[in-house]
Amino acid sequence: MALARVERLTFTYPETASLALDDVSLEVEPGEVVALLGPSGCGKSTLLRALAGLVPHFHGGRFAGRVEVAGHDTRRTRPADLAGTVATLFQDPEDQVVFTRVAAEVAFGLENVGTAPERIGARVAQALAAVGAAHLVERPVAELSGGELQRVCLASVLALEPRLLLLDEPTSQLDPEGAEEAIELARAAGAAVVVSEQRPDRVLGACDRVLFLERGRIVLDAPREEALAWLARHRPAWVPRDAAVPGPGSAPEPSCRIERVSFAYGDTRVLEGVSLEIGRGEVVALVGPNGSGKTTLAKLAAGVLEPGTGSVTRNGRACYLSQDPGRYLVRERAEDEVALAVEGDVSRAREALRGVGLAGLEARHPRDLSSGERERLALAAVLVAEPDLLVLDEPTRGVDPERKDELAALLRAQAPARATLVVTNDFVFAAAVADRSVSTAPEREAALV
Amino acid sequence: MSPAPAAALLAGLVAAALLAERTISVAAIALLLLVVCLRAPAPRRRLYLVGAFVSGFGVFAVSPFVATIGWHVLWSGPTIPVLGRLDVTREELHVALFQGLRLTAVALAFAAYALLLDHDRLVQAVGFARRSVLAIALATRLVPTLERDAAGLVEALRGRGVEVSGLRGRARLVSPLLAGSLERALNLAEAMEARGYGRAGATRTPRPGWGGRERLALALGTLAVVLGALWL
Repeated sequence: MALARVERLTFTYPETASLALDDVSLEVEPGEVVALLGPSGCGKSTLLRALAGLVPHFHGGRFAGRVEVAGHDTRRTRPADLAGTVATLFQDPEDQVVFTRVAAEVAFGLENVGTAPERIGARVAQALAAVGAAHLVERPVAELSGGELQRVCLASVLALEPRLLLLDEPTSQLDPEGAEEAIELARAAGAAVVVSEQRPDRVLGACDRVLFLERGRIVLDAPREEALAWLARHRPAWVPRDAAVPGPGSAPEPSCRIERVSFAYGDTRVLEGVSLEIGRGEVVALVGPNGSGKTTLAKLAAGVLEPGTGSVTRNGRACYLSQDPGRYLVRERAEDEVALAVEGDVSRAREALRGVGLAGLEARHPRDLSSGERERLALAAVLVAEPDLLVLDEPTRGVDPERKDELAALLRAQAPARATLVVTNDFVFAAAVADRSVSTAPEREAALV
Repeated sequence: MSPAPAAALLAGLVAAALLAERTISVAAIALLLLVVCLRAPAPRRRLYLVGAFVSGFGVFAVSPFVATIGWHVLWSGPTIPVLGRLDVTREELHVALFQGLRLTAVALAFAAYALLLDHDRLVQAVGFARRSVLAIALATRLVPTLERDAAGLVEALRGRGVEVSGLRGRARLVSPLLAGSLERALNLAEAMEARGYGRAGATRTPRPGWGGRERLALALGTLAVVLGALWL
């Protein structure tokens, strides 16, 4: 008997005309791992929310059809009452943290679902150990790196030992090793898993079945092998590719030279004696495990941070695009946002918006754009300045494979005009865009240049 | 120390500051709370201390002009419609100093609560009104969260070569900061609902028992209230 059943579900968010989900039907069997794929904005997150009961309870909107999870009709059962049976890991780990310390954060869900007090400590420790985060138990959440926080959030849902685990891009901030572990852990938990991913290589190897959504409709629901064949025929960008990341190499005519820099946040030393050169005309991928100092090195390269010791020299203007840039938009019109970097030159801003595929959205409020569109808006906001050094920090987080190919093509096309440093753990993207790669992994620090 | 008795001690000091009638007593309580706040790391405490002193000084600076007490006039100014004649008396200055110190003491007590207490353990320790305590704990986190978001905004703008400077430049960040925090609040509420918040039958992580320090803090908090009411 199916653990979850969706029957002819059609849903529209309040104050919007377009359907977020359009006549969706599916069943999820106990223990099954289902990969949920599809372009940004196709309804993946909405479908996960419907399975958790958050659509329509939390969001409102027009809901037709029926969703049943473990025998509960989600329209008659509050999401809080489904918690424990269903556990959801949301896209943005920063936005789901309630407490200030890791132990309390993982215990929160257990307390809510009424776990016996004497068992809470053991379940917290077990879940943290399972995701390789046992050492973080007493750490303040605010001090964790993005990847560490994502592990803690995963531990929070695994601790509930749910029957249905809903994962919305659970590996977006994890290094490849961590991502593989996360999917395996979800599978090993014995729960049915529905996992939405923008990096198909991370999930297609571990799933039993694939759903592909487009414009709110399921266009493919098939076992993995059959789905791979369908993807190869109809959506080739989604087929897992070999990620042959180019090797270290050396920089032609360095445009940015980082020499023996060290940096610490308070007492926590992040970089020690690191050197790196980036040449004009080349794209360098900066890779390395979570918490190894990639973002810090990128900020030093762009001049957003100043090194504690050592030196950074740059030729010309540098621009830096932070992680999750859609969060840091300040103006009320897209074109004004982009024009900020060029002293209000709106015509250049419009051209830059066209370049990233946002023509026609010039007058929209940045916060009214979808998350994918916000990311592209932020990219336009740095490209418009035509920098001599462009530093992008995890630019493919939450970006679907087709958009990722477009981004790689755009960066490659503009590469001769500048030096480009891309911080990424997306090896497929790194292979597509970079001329060479450098790693912040401690054992390879000596070979950074 | 357990956060609940520490919070009770801070509440006792606030009550004493509000009940005390002598300026010197309120000043002593404010000074004691300042010493406590100085135990927090410098970068974190800066914003709270600035907030406490600016609000206290604001009361001291404004209230002589709107109060009308005393007869020892120190300065006499023009007549303003609605407010009448502006003047400052010795008695008004004394009351302004007293009220300013009171507000500073209350703000410093909040700063000590926000900076030094473990809010997670406080929420877990409370046996009643847990939802309200959690709401207070989340509201307390608003200041550091806004601070972090503001730093992120400034950094993102610097990354585009746009420097944020001056009062006007910083004022422009207020609207995106508020919009961002509303968005964050909605996402957090959704995540809490999905994790069973508000469901009947919730349990609590067992908390360690109280020792001598906790009992002493509770006794001192009670003593502060009694002293404030009777002798200060």
